[in-house]
Amino acid sequence: MGKNVWDMLLGFFAWCCAILLVGSMILIIGFLILKGYKAISLELIFANTSPLEALLFKQQVFGGLFPAMVGTFFLILLSIGFALPLGLASGIFLAEYAPDSIKKIFSLCFDILAGVPSIVIGLFGFSITVLLHHSFNSQIFPCLLISALSLAFLVLPYIIKTTQVALESLPLLLRLTAPSLGATKLENIFLVLLPASISDITSGIVLAIGRCAEDTAVIMLTGVVAVAGIPKSIFSGFEALPFYIYYIASEYSDQFELMKGYGAAIILLLICAVLFGISHWVKEWLTAKTRFSY
Amino acid sequence: MGKKQIKIQIKKLGFYYKNQQIFENICIEFEKKSITSISGPSGQGKSSFLMALNRLWESIEDAKVKGTILMDFGNGFEDIYHKNYSVTELRQRVGMVFQVPNPLPMSIYKNIEFPLKLRGEKNKTIIAEKVEQALTESFLWDEVKDRLSSDAGLLSGGQQQRLCIARALVLEPQVLLLDEPTSSLDETSARVIEDLLVQLKKKCTIILVSHHIDQVDRIADNKLVLSDRRLEQK
Repeated sequence: MGKNVWDMLLGFFAWCCAILLVGSMILIIGFLILKGYKAISLELIFANTSPLEALLFKQQVFGGLFPAMVGTFFLILLSIGFALPLGLASGIFLAEYAPDSIKKIFSLCFDILAGVPSIVIGLFGFSITVLLHHSFNSQIFPCLLISALSLAFLVLPYIIKTTQVALESLPLLLRLTAPSLGATKLENIFLVLLPASISDITSGIVLAIGRCAEDTAVIMLTGVVAVAGIPKSIFSGFEALPFYIYYIASEYSDQFELMKGYGAAIILLLICAVLFGISHWVKEWLTAKTRFSY
Repeated sequence: MGKKQIKIQIKKLGFYYKNQQIFENICIEFEKKSITSISGPSGQGKSSFLMALNRLWESIEDAKVKGTILMDFGNGFEDIYHKNYSVTELRQRVGMVFQVPNPLPMSIYKNIEFPLKLRGEKNKTIIAEKVEQALTESFLWDEVKDRLSSDAGLLSGGQQQRLCIARALVLEPQVLLLDEPTSSLDETSARVIEDLLVQLKKKCTIILVSHHIDQVDRIADNKLVLSDRRLEQK
């Protein structure tokens, strides 16, 4: 009887927590859309420039969000591009090759790295830039490349951890299947173990993409500027949506500017949604490729 | 009948897991083209014994083997633990089937094709021929020939286990190790696999770990019991 009541209470509590979380998410997104949907227009993105010309990078957009969208997009692409190979390789090393003692030390290091506040990583990137500027080449300034590298450091622990955990949680029987048929360790990892854990690894990548898209502290110190236009190269400054939102939120002068901030927030969410969609599609494609093509 | 031919010679074999001795000092010989059964209580190291024969224990952390295993693959007895002996080649010659069917998360065809691809076979006609042959030998061809591209995980337990046997057979191994291959199957599926093993005896030396006394009595030529760290004739 008593046990039953506790069961019910626990169930009730669990339901409440779930509803609270989902509710808050709906509340935040709903608030954003309600406040900002009026601001969404082609003009918000492209201002007075023709969209086609802007999309072909023929004409710079002034006063619109387009440069910030492009900046954010390339920033995410570059950061994930740096972090993914490194993170996957480290995760594979920890799960499959590292002896226990090294595994313990490295895991601790990556956990600490995961806990470092992003502003500290930003400061670190900034310090490195200053150091390089003074002692190496005075042409080195905060730029897209340095921002992307710093962000890569920020998200590296997520990718490492998810890869490691995904590989380690595979059942022993699956692990032994390919070796029993004559596969080398490397073949086993790439033909069986990684494909089997791709779904878990993708969720780590999605988390990393989200983090790259939203982080402001790192890029603020390492390359983002309020007005830069489309970045000309990875060595130039760039605009980014989260910084734009932060900037508007703290320094807006009138209602019209504030509305642009809301619009930018919605667009940032949309970009994330598109990227999540793409990573999901890549996951499905990879799974199908390793699975059923006959 | 001629003189008995020996396929495998084991001398002073010991197996250790996390510094704990599982068995020690096992000396035994296995005859060519016969079925030898190993039974005995759980936890005595029957699976470990099989894994010593294809060196699969090397993929398991904290496991260790001592002793000598010699096998004759046509060039006289060779030490499979010799430092120059290729473990990949060994595992292509010594096939293994596990207690629980373990098809890879791929199509039926790809499962059988997998070991051939590992070996470097690229000719699609040869692959197709060998896949069909292996599936036929394992009594599965007729049941799956129309759905080779469907997920192997959708087959029944008995079919999955025969698929795993076919996957081991496609490399034409000379020794086949089976670790309680029918323990997760119903009586009918188990009988099909027993018939299959009797057929395979013509080509392979089979070592079968089994708990079922009836099964052992039905198909084994030679019966061994592993208990108290010793492997002895029943």
